[in-house]
Amino acid sequence: MGKKNFTTFGRRTALGLIGTGLSAPFVLRDGWGQTMPELTKIPDSLKGEGELRIATFGGTMQETQQKAYFAPFEQATGIKVKPFAGSDPTKIKAMVETKNIEWDLAQLSRGSIMNLMKTGDYFEKIDYSLVDDGVDKAYRFEYGLEMLVWAQVIGYRSDLTKGVAPNGWADFWDTKKFPGDRAMVGTGNGGWPELEFALMAAGVPADKLYPIDIDKAFASYDKIKKDIVKWWDTGAMPVQLLTDREVTMTSVWNGRMAALQAAGVPAQISWNQGLLKRDAWGIPKGAKNATNAQKFVAYSTMAIPQARVSLGIPYGSVNNGSNEFIPEERLKVLPSAPAIKAQLVNYNYDWWIENRATVITRFNKWLLG
Amino acid sequence: MLLVAPLVLYMIVLYALPVVTMLLRSFNDPTWSLVHYRELMDDSVFFNTLVNTLYTAFIVTLGTLVLGYPVAVALVRAKKWAPLIIVIILLPFWTSVLVRSYAWMVLLGRHGLINEALMAAGLIDRPLRILNTALAVYIGMIHILLPYMILPIANALRQIDPSLARAASGLGSPPWRTFLQVTLPLSIPGVAAGGLLVFVLSLGFYITPAMLGGPRDITLSMLIANQVDQLNWAYAACLSGVLLATALVIIAACRRLPGIGNAFKMSAR
Amino acid sequence: MAPGVRDTVSSTGSGASVSLAGLEKSYERVGAVNGVSLDIRSGEFLTLLGPSGSGKTTTLMMIAGFEQPTKGDIAIDGTSVVAMPPHKRNIGMVFQNYALFPHLTVAENIGFPLKQRGVAKAERAKLVGEALELVHLPGYGGRYPRQLSGGQQQRVALARAIVFKPRLLLMDEPLGALDKQLRENLQLEMRRLHADLGITFIYVTHDQEEALTMSDRIAVMNEGLVSQVGSPEDLYDRPCNRFVAGFIGESNFLPATVKGLEGDIVIAECQGAVIRATCPSRPSSGSTVTLTTRPERLRFADTLNGSAQSMNRMAVTVTEAVFAGERCRYMLKAADGTMIVLKEPSSAAIRRRTVGEHAEIAWSVADTILV
Repeated sequence: MGKKNFTTFGRRTALGLIGTGLSAPFVLRDGWGQTMPELTKIPDSLKGEGELRIATFGGTMQETQQKAYFAPFEQATGIKVKPFAGSDPTKIKAMVETKNIEWDLAQLSRGSIMNLMKTGDYFEKIDYSLVDDGVDKAYRFEYGLEMLVWAQVIGYRSDLTKGVAPNGWADFWDTKKFPGDRAMVGTGNGGWPELEFALMAAGVPADKLYPIDIDKAFASYDKIKKDIVKWWDTGAMPVQLLTDREVTMTSVWNGRMAALQAAGVPAQISWNQGLLKRDAWGIPKGAKNATNAQKFVAYSTMAIPQARVSLGIPYGSVNNGSNEFIPEERLKVLPSAPAIKAQLVNYNYDWWIENRATVITRFNKWLLG
Repeated sequence: MLLVAPLVLYMIVLYALPVVTMLLRSFNDPTWSLVHYRELMDDSVFFNTLVNTLYTAFIVTLGTLVLGYPVAVALVRAKKWAPLIIVIILLPFWTSVLVRSYAWMVLLGRHGLINEALMAAGLIDRPLRILNTALAVYIGMIHILLPYMILPIANALRQIDPSLARAASGLGSPPWRTFLQVTLPLSIPGVAAGGLLVFVLSLGFYITPAMLGGPRDITLSMLIANQVDQLNWAYAACLSGVLLATALVIIAACRRLPGIGNAFKMSAR
Repeated sequence: MAPGVRDTVSSTGSGASVSLAGLEKSYERVGAVNGVSLDIRSGEFLTLLGPSGSGKTTTLMMIAGFEQPTKGDIAIDGTSVVAMPPHKRNIGMVFQNYALFPHLTVAENIGFPLKQRGVAKAERAKLVGEALELVHLPGYGGRYPRQLSGGQQQRVALARAIVFKPRLLLMDEPLGALDKQLRENLQLEMRRLHADLGITFIYVTHDQEEALTMSDRIAVMNEGLVSQVGSPEDLYDRPCNRFVAGFIGESNFLPATVKGLEGDIVIAECQGAVIRATCPSRPSSGSTVTLTTRPERLRFADTLNGSAQSMNRMAVTVTEAVFAGERCRYMLKAADGTMIVLKEPSSAAIRRRTVGEHAEIAWSVADTILV
């Protein structure tokens, strides 16, 4: 789910605080009211001692993680978890290069991990002998394991669209049919521009997106450029823009929308043509407690810990066994729900790892050059 | 001399060394070359961002001067109320830049306080777009940087011998001419110090333009962050070098300007 | 003269006359003025003399217009100026700290009042040149005040205050920051300038010697009131109260009882002797008064060759004798223990007294004042 809340150092701290500040009133309470599934028995191979320093994206997500699997993991394994808000691939690069590694495990994305691996040896290999069989093969890769499924979708003010729901990116681009300003992801703060959305707006079918025709995507971007009031770079921003009625529509992380709706803002998700993305665990190369990190990676992707996350925040599980622990009602709002997943496009990290630098340079030139 | 040794050491270890290390990176990553600087020459994004950053800094400096000077005068004249004015000026310092920028979002938004008030007063019939424009950036930055302009000017004004204004008045100068011919020229060292401070601080702004600005209101520090995120650290270092050099050139230029340079000397007396 | 009594006005010459009537300024801090009435004649050199906090500077600032009186009136040449802002009063002013504009050259400083009056540039340059000549600083026009010595700065301030030919010049302790030598030179120059320009000077100082040297008349101020106004000789020879007698010069004070009057002469009993004193008022018989006399006006009776007969005389004991070159200074004890100072010009022909010696002192009736 990309960058969410940053609550440490520098500009990230600062911008991250908007996240906490804004989301605090909307902290999601559903899920925790009901009884949560408990994981009572774990393999002895996951038990251990000492500590484990985990970098997260902070905010509501970290609160959920604390209850979903940090605390239960401590109890079950005897390993003490120390969470840090503010995970960031550039910090991992600096830590590994200076051999001053402060985190044993970090929440990132497959893209960030592979991007760094292109330039050097920054991550430990995942010990798949420990990992639960229920974790789909699609989520596994050599230097990380995906652990959270989320979607980047259209969020809109239903009051400003007069109750009409936009359906896909052609509608997002259509400012006659849906008057009002727009916001999309920019390149600030490590953003990954949404070329897929531009292509779909131009009529490219969802299954023909990759490899992305960059020229065509920017030609499509040209048409919406003047209506974009903000190229956002933190997850809190689209939420803020919707809350303050600054935009009619924006791209947004689906989990954030649940918080917004819980706060009573007449905002809705249009799932169609959204992007299905994942967060992944990565173990910085040379981490002191790498062994504990391997154990936690395995534990947190087991069926019950994954289900506990989905109950706390509407993001999907990577373990096929989780669904039996999640009530029907809840399953329907997760990006992993079959009816929703069918409308989403699987994000192609491999294409992006190859082309991100080119795209960002092109994007900056297109916007500012 | 021995007493400043810890400070010098502190500056070398915690400031000079990191800066030098960073700057070196722009020359020797991956091998010794000027390739990153050559790249800079052809980079229209960099050029436009630099121009935008300088322009923003200029407007903000001008804005703080126009708004700050009368406040500084009031501060110096108000003997009894001076502590209260100081508190009001410094009050914003007690909240973070972030919170203040957020407050401006609330005020300047399309359905924010200012637009609602203007609409209610019947002055406009549809909300103005202020938030997410350069104007919002100027407003936010001027607000944050105002104390840096007011305090040096107030300090300069306070150092002007009050008998000078009396002398001028006694010699036949009406109050407004006394201000123009005596007070204003003698406060130039404060204006120069405040202006320099605000301008140089403006060059490094990140949070406020990111939060309040529109799509194209990108500053150099935002561009640097962008390059860091893309792991182009050498290029980021190169941009930082340019930002640092810009600030240094401006400081040096200010000291050489005839009027202001003289003012610097005068204040040294 | 009692405070509040007006002196006579005569308004001739090119200087302005200034009339203060019942002037008051209430302050929480020191320097309040409690009712000053004073007429300053055209072309006069008048000094406001008093200790710090006596209200002399406040009075000057009210004349200049920098302070607004709480009560009373200020008239220049018969026109009230109380409601007039300072820049319209056309008064020259010299400040204690010179108050030269540091960002302007000497010529620009002196040209400042001319510029305010719209004097053309060429004319301005000429007048500035003349003013510089007048204060003996020709060729200094291009310098900045910080490049001048204290004395030179004061001359520039003076030039600036007179260049526009005001009819009244106010000076607030203008020599206070200078050393003694320089001060004495400038005192002479100011006298000369006053004589040359013929304009009215009002000068504030706490230095009685400066006041005595320079002034036509002195107004001694104390606690916001004028204690006495008069020429330096008047004040020195005929102080009308104990404050003036003590503040200007050195005085001996002798308690006495009034026995009777003989024309303008008061006959009093003091230390068992009959003393005659001059007095402008007529104290009633039997009242207790103080007699004052200057130490240098006292003599040992045996040095006067008989002319002591018509003088006041008193028996004393020498308690201290100090030889100070040009004079000898004696501390004497009267019958009831009152200490008296006597200063005698030194001369090899006069016998010096020794401590413990009994003696008789004598002084003239004219030098004995009842205050």
